[in-house]
Formats: sequence, C-alpha cells, structure tokens
Amino acid sequence: MNNDVEMKNQEHSNEWVKIVSQDGFSFVIKRDVASQSGTLKSMIGTGEGFAEATSGVCNIPDYRGAVVEKLAEFMIYKKMYGHASPPEVIPDFQERIYPEIALELLMAADYLEL
Amino acid sequence: MSTVAPGARKKQKIRPIKKRAPDASAPDTWTSLSNAIQEIHNHNASNLSFEQNYRFAYQMVVQKQGDQLYNGVNSLVATNIDKLVDAEVKPTFPTTVLGDASQKSPESERFLKAVRSSWDDHIGGMTKLRDLLKYMDRVYVPAAGKLLIWDSGMKLFLEHMLKQPILGHIISAILNQIEAEREGYAINRSAVKSCVDVLLQLQEAYDGPNVYQSSVEPEIIRSSRGYYTREGDALLDSCDAPEYLKKVEDRFASEDDRAHHYLSRQTATPLSQILEETLLTPHLTRVIAMPNSGLDNMLDMDQTDNLSRLYRLFSKVPEGISTLKRAMKDSILRRGTSLVQPTDMDDEGNGEGQPDAAPDVKGKGKGKARAAPNGPSVASKWVEGVLALKDKFDDVWKKSFSSDREIGTACNEAFENIINKNPRAPEFISLFIDENLKKGLKGKSDQEVDIVLDKTICIFRFISDKDVFERHYKTHLAKRLLQSRSVSDDAERSMLSKLKVECGFHFTQKLEGMFIDMKTSSDTMDAYRRHLSKLESDPEFDLIVTIMTSNNWPNTLTQSPPPCRLPESLSKACTNFEHFYLARHNGRRLTWQLGLGNADIRVNFKSRKHDLNVSTFALAILLLFENLGSDDFLTYEELLSTTGMEEPELKRQLQSLACAKFKVLKKHPPGREIDAGDSFSFNNDFTSPMQRIKIGTVASSRVENPDEQKETQDRIDEERRHQIEACIVRIMKDRKHMLHNDLINEVARQLGGRFQPQPMSIKKRIEHLIERDYLERCEDRKSYNYLA
Repeated sequence: MNNDVEMKNQEHSNEWVKIVSQDGFSFVIKRDVASQSGTLKSMIGTGEGFAEATSGVCNIPDYRGAVVEKLAEFMIYKKMYGHASPPEVIPDFQERIYPEIALELLMAADYLEL
Repeated sequence: MSTVAPGARKKQKIRPIKKRAPDASAPDTWTSLSNAIQEIHNHNASNLSFEQNYRFAYQMVVQKQGDQLYNGVNSLVATNIDKLVDAEVKPTFPTTVLGDASQKSPESERFLKAVRSSWDDHIGGMTKLRDLLKYMDRVYVPAAGKLLIWDSGMKLFLEHMLKQPILGHIISAILNQIEAEREGYAINRSAVKSCVDVLLQLQEAYDGPNVYQSSVEPEIIRSSRGYYTREGDALLDSCDAPEYLKKVEDRFASEDDRAHHYLSRQTATPLSQILEETLLTPHLTRVIAMPNSGLDNMLDMDQTDNLSRLYRLFSKVPEGISTLKRAMKDSILRRGTSLVQPTDMDDEGNGEGQPDAAPDVKGKGKGKARAAPNGPSVASKWVEGVLALKDKFDDVWKKSFSSDREIGTACNEAFENIINKNPRAPEFISLFIDENLKKGLKGKSDQEVDIVLDKTICIFRFISDKDVFERHYKTHLAKRLLQSRSVSDDAERSMLSKLKVECGFHFTQKLEGMFIDMKTSSDTMDAYRRHLSKLESDPEFDLIVTIMTSNNWPNTLTQSPPPCRLPESLSKACTNFEHFYLARHNGRRLTWQLGLGNADIRVNFKSRKHDLNVSTFALAILLLFENLGSDDFLTYEELLSTTGMEEPELKRQLQSLACAKFKVLKKHPPGREIDAGDSFSFNNDFTSPMQRIKIGTVASSRVENPDEQKETQDRIDEERRHQIEACIVRIMKDRKHMLHNDLINEVARQLGGRFQPQPMSIKKRIEHLIERDYLERCEDRKSYNYLA
C-alpha cells in the first residue's frame, strides 16, 4: 500500500503498470515484467486499445492480495533469473511459496497465463 | 509456475479454494460478453475492460460453457462480416461491364480498396477477440477439436466475404488493373497489392493453396495468355524485328516487375513462361526472317545491341537457340555462297558489286588495288571475303551471343561448309598465303602479317582436303623460293611452323626439306665459287645453281624438264658445275631444270644499256640474236630448231620478249599472237626510263586453268590412292585380321586429318591389294587377312 503512494506519479507512464487485487491491494511493477504474463500482456498491450491499456491499471478481481503479490514476486524472479547462465546461482522459488495459497496461486497462474 | 505446482500439490495442508459464487450466471455472462464483442466490432474497444471480458470468457470455459461461447463468438463474427459486405463492399461493386480499361480502372481500384478495408476491419476485431478468448483457445479449443478462434475468423471471412459474386468481382478487378497497366495507364499498385496480400493469407484448407493460388492466379495466367497471344500478333504486324525484340524484352521486365510488386512472387515464373510461349516460341522464325530487319539485316548493320537482345530472348526458350543456330548457319552459307560466285565467272574478277559481300573489314585487298590479272585477285578476294566474314561472325558471336558454344559450332560448321563447297578452296588459300608472303608483307608490321596468317590458318582448319592444300602450297612455296620472291624468310618459317602445329610433322616434312635444299645449295655455291677461283680460266658469267632433292619438291617442277638447247657458253658452265658437283657427291644424278631459272644480262641498246632479268629460256633465245645485226631476222622455225624448245614454251617466251610491255625483240608482222610464219629481229631502238628491267614470262594464269586443275586433281587422286593403300597395309600389318567395316572406318579415321577418303575408293584399294597378294579375303566374305 505504501508503494502505491510513492509510485503514484509514475502510474500512467509506460514504464510501470499497476495490478489491483480483489481486496484492493495495488502492485506497481514494470511493464516488461508484467508482460511475461500472456493475459496481462494482451490486457495492457497498446495494439488492442482496451480500457486497461489506456489507464495502465489491471484489475484482477478474482484473487486476493497475497496471491497477486506472490505472482508479482514470481514475475520479477522470472525476469531476473529467466536468462541466467549456469554458473550463476539460482535461488529456489519453491521455498517461498506458502502452502496455504498454493492452489489458489496455481489457478491464478493459469488465469494469467504464466 | 510449473515449478511450483508439483511441490504444492503434495502438501496435505492445502485447503480447497472457497468456491466463490460466480458474478453472474452463464447466460448473463454471455450476454455481457456478446455486447462487448459487438462493441469491439463497432470500434469501441477502449471503453471495455479487457480483464472483465477475459474473465467472462474464462468463466464460461471453466464452467463448461465453451460450446456456447465458441459458437456465439463465431456467429457474431459472421454477422459482422456480412454487415461489412453490405456496408462497404457492395456499394463499390463495379458497374461498368464494358468500356475501356481507363474507365474501369478507378472503379476496380475503389472496389479493391473496399475489400481491403473490410479485411483490415475484420483483422482488427479478430486480434482483440483472439486476446480476449485466449483462455478459450488454450483450454477449450484443443479439447473440443475446434479451430483456433483466429483461424475460425479467417475461415468465416473466406466463407462470407470471398464468395461469389464478390470473389468474381475481385478477380475481374485485379485483371482489369493488370490490363490497364499493360496498356500503359498508371494504376494504384498498392490497392491491388493490398488485396492480393489478403488473398495470399487465406487458405481454404490447412496446408492447401491459398485463395490467390487457387482462384486468382489461374485467371491471371489465362487472361495474360490471351492478351499476349493477341499482342504478339499485333506487334509482329506493326514492328520490325529489333523493335519487336525490344518490346518483348520490356514486357519480360514489366511482367517480372508486376509480379514482384503486387502479385505473388510465384506468379513471376508462370508469367514469364507465358511470355515465352506467346511472344517468343511461335514467332522465332518470323522474327529472324523478317525482311529488312531480321537477323540478316542486324548482321549487316552490325547492330550488336539488337543481336545481344535477340540472343538473350532466344536463349530463354528451348527452341530459341537452335532456331538462331540454323538462321546463323543459313546466313553464313548464303554470304559464303555469294563470295564463291565471283570466282565462277572466271575472268574479270570484278565481283565488287556483290551486294551481300561482307564489308571489307581489314587491309583493303592488296590484290584489288593492283588490278592484277584476274587469277590471284579472285583467289585472294575470295579468301579475304571468307576471312572478313569469319571476323564479322566471330565478332558478333563474342559480343552478342556471349560466345555461346552451340552457335559457335554452328558457325564453324557453316564455314566448313562454305570452304569445302568451293572445290578450289585449298588452292585459293595457298595462293592467298603466297600473295601475302610475296608482296602483301611490304608496309606491314610483323604482327599484322602474323595476324593475317593466323586467320588464314583458321580457315585452313576448315579444309577437309588438306593434302590438296599441301600440294598447292608446295608449288607456291617452290616458286617463291626459286625466284627468291619471298619477302621474309621469317614469315615463311613462321607459316611453316603454324602448319606444323596444325597438321603435324608429317605434313611439313617436305616443305622443310625445301628450305634445307635452299640452304645446302647456297653452301654448295660458295664451295663452287672457291673452286672456280682456283681455276685459271675466269668464267664468262656467274652461275648459281639451286640443287633440289627431287622428292621434296613438287612433281610439276621436277618432272621431265622441258627440252632446250643452250648456247655453248651456257652449257659449258653447266658441264663445269656438273663435274664439280658429281666429284663432291658421288653417285648422284643432276637434272637441269632450266624452266625454273632466270638470268641477269646487260644488253646494249642504241640509246643506253639496260640490265634485263629474263628467264633462262628467254636468255637462250636472246643469245641467238647476240651476234646478229639489227636488221637480221630469225624466223620462228629457225628459233624452234635452234633452241629445241617445245612450241608452246617457245611461243610463251617470244611473246614475253616481243609482245609484252618491254619489246626487246621486234616481231614481223607485229601482233599479239605468235604464229608459225613470224620472224623476229633485235629491237635496237628499245627505250625505257628504267635501268633495270624485269621481263616476266607471260604468266600461265596463276589460278590453274581447267586442264591444270584436272591434272592436279589426277595427281592428288593418285597420291591419295597410294596413301590409302599404305594406310591399309599399315593397319593390316598391325592387326593381321580385320572386318571389312572396321578396316574402312579405321582408314577413314587415320586419313581424316589429310582428306576425307570415300568408302568406295577404300574398297577399290582393298581389292587392288588383294590382287597384289597383300591381303586375302576370309571365308566369311566380311573380313581380310594380312599376307606377309
């Protein structure tokens, strides 16, 4: 929530997009990070011209903040290590997943095409 | 996320997700989604939330309502396309059915643009739908075995838009545009291209041909064929050959350009094929044979560009080269034949008026300028003509036909034909070389001479009867050597070495022998002079003898010498030399060939002294007048009996002394011909501005007269008979036993380098050899045995 306030100025710039969860949490992440999700990509893609593309705000009303947060975390993780070369140590993401949100996370990932 | 999934599932603690009540029931979801799709089709996408509609579609799929979703979307898309057809495309249907291309063109253009814009519209909608329905594409479509929504959209477009009559209109519009451009009107290429692009993207079946290939291309090809068939006939009637070729080439370029710019690349090949089939193949012969502008004319005018174009175009089609080849051959043959003709009108030799004679490219005929009596000029004119022709065609071949091998062969064949068609070609060529080596070389650098000789060798290569050439060349060379009229020894030798390269050592052996004879003779003469200086008695004159080995020199020269009784002083010198020579070389026999000699004498005329150069025979005659007064006569009969010469020879000599340019003798009565009753006296009043006078013997014409020709031919035939026999014996000695046909072939092959023996004559020779017990016929009547 704090982030929300800080990043407010950049909300509409191309660089950042905001993802809003069911319970109103907002996560501002870089556009190229968000674009790793097929769904988010088409949502904010400029070519399609939907409402989200103009506003730069993506609502994900089906999932809780905790899930969306984990998703955002994973997207950043993927962005960072997706192209890592072998000698680099890739931390295991699995450890960071809490069992209680696992199933929900799985469905959300399917929904977002991750 | 897949990395997470397996681990997460194993955990026991996972709670099932609280099933949230759907926002709306399925029908409601569909209603709002279909509304949204309609909004998209109305270009109002920016008012819609992507997430919301995505979620709708997601929910419908998750709630197993995929069928409803899929079919619903498809029907919405179809409706939209139908709407587009009605709104955009139909109003632009071309109305004018008839009328010329320029009127139809804008209509077609508008129509094609409309098609394209509805396509763009459709694509725009489909892209959005594809994104919205991505979940459906991912989950529902593979499971239900349906087409992806995008492909389904394409299919719908195909079914609803590209059906009759719209497809027909599209095709005719494209054809209109193409035709308009062919007629030279500017068209909007991008309109056509954009429409063609649409058609290129659509396939009726997966992996099948696209709509362009299946419907449009065949039409284009069909109409192009019709168009160019007409065009070809029209062009042929209105243009001359170079223009026709130029237009055809332009057509090739423009069709290629067209195909690449706004049709499909693959259409370029069939289109150019059509051009080949309609503009080139059927008209090849007509273009070549066009009067006043066809191949012949281009050759005459040296239109290198047009000829290259001709070649380029003709080489595109399979029959092109062969047609061109034939035409070239014919052309060369025709030209060659027109060259031969002047020689057939034997005398006068002024064949300059020949209209077809190739322009004289090089060295404005030496013989021509000299107005020499017909013989040599005919020969050298002919050879020069052939050379010029060959130069010309070689030039054309290199410059315009990019040295095409086939055409080159055809040209060479044609030249071979020309040259061998003239039975006197070997003689003429030899004469030409003779001419060049004798006087042509003056004022020409060595290189120029070399070039001329090289070219001559080129022609020489075409001669099939090389032995005939050898015979003539030998005669001419002998004359040049004996009369020392050869300008340059080096040139002679280089010619000889060229012949050696062409025909091998065997061919030039005797010719070289002649050179060696000349050399030994001069050595002998040195020795003889030393020998004379040791003697007391000073000779009255210098005697120079050339000793010729009889089998090296031409038979005509060495055969039984014409008889002539020499005055005593001369015969004494001869005897002296004979003694000297036979003392040096025991066992040899000397035969004096007086007919080949000449003499330098100083004669006192009334006004002044002149140095005369006369033949030995003429000398013998002149010496008879030496001690006579200017009024004393000698009759023809007296001369005949004193000299002992043969009558024709005597007449010839007298003619050159009394009737030619320098009249050293007076003939009574005067006249051009010598008759038996004539008498002669010394012409004391002879005057001439020159100190030194050469009195040539009235030439028996340089080109052989028919009798001589026959004689030469007989000689050659005889020589050939010997050669064939020798060859047969050589082969049989080697093989011992051989089939008749094999033997004939082998003989023909071995002798091919010198002449082309007739199978008949070979057969005769075989029979002859059998008679002489060299060979015997085997029992099977098909083969022979060699009898040692």
